[in-house]
Amino acid sequence: MKNIFIGLLLAINLFGAPREGDSAVEFQLPDLYEQNKSLSMKELKGKVVLLNLWASWCGGCQDEMPLFVELQKEYPKDKFEIVLSSIDNMPEGAKGFLGKVDKDKVLTSLYDEDKTLPKAYRCPGMPSSFLIGKDGKIVEVYIGSLDDDAIVELKAKIKSLLGK
Amino acid sequence: MIRIGLVLFTLFFMGCSEHLVRVMPYEKEYFSQDKMSLSPLGERAEQEGHIFLIREASAGGESAFQGGCGCR
Repeated sequence: MKNIFIGLLLAINLFGAPREGDSAVEFQLPDLYEQNKSLSMKELKGKVVLLNLWASWCGGCQDEMPLFVELQKEYPKDKFEIVLSSIDNMPEGAKGFLGKVDKDKVLTSLYDEDKTLPKAYRCPGMPSSFLIGKDGKIVEVYIGSLDDDAIVELKAKIKSLLGK
Repeated sequence: MIRIGLVLFTLFFMGCSEHLVRVMPYEKEYFSQDKMSLSPLGERAEQEGHIFLIREASAGGESAFQGGCGCR
């Protein structure tokens, strides 16, 4: 009986979602605009990254996107990079929405057709964002859309991660 | 005896799990479409209510409770 209980605890732990302090999930996903290009988590090591899992049909995702565009403009991409991963069933929806909000393609946009990242992160809500440090460890998990106040707090965290 | 009980318990709940499929937030693309809304013609219903209100010349006349006769 004791063994079964320990086994169950281990199983729950193994299948738990990555949390703060855990390593970010490795991925390699195609670019939203150019399918022959791709980006992996390994390539992002050494930068502070905000990984945002979003969809064009998600209202909260739409609300926070203009804030992300403004946020990215404040930092050079070699230091801090916002990486969007769209989980739309069709990429056209994501492209159409970003075409209006992020005309200059400031944000790095990936396309996750198979929804591998939300599955791996076991996202309990949409949108979900993960602040990842230079060492590839998750610093903060944000479930739901970020508002102006949350962006101010996020900036403080980015600043400390960048060592300014 | 306990083991048999556990096996039966597991089998029972595995059977239930087939019918209780949880839709994850990232799988709700189709549910987010307007046609999946409980009131898919919300805008039209509002417009119809407005027309009904003018026709009956009675505020709140769109419900069965108040009748819409203007004689509240």
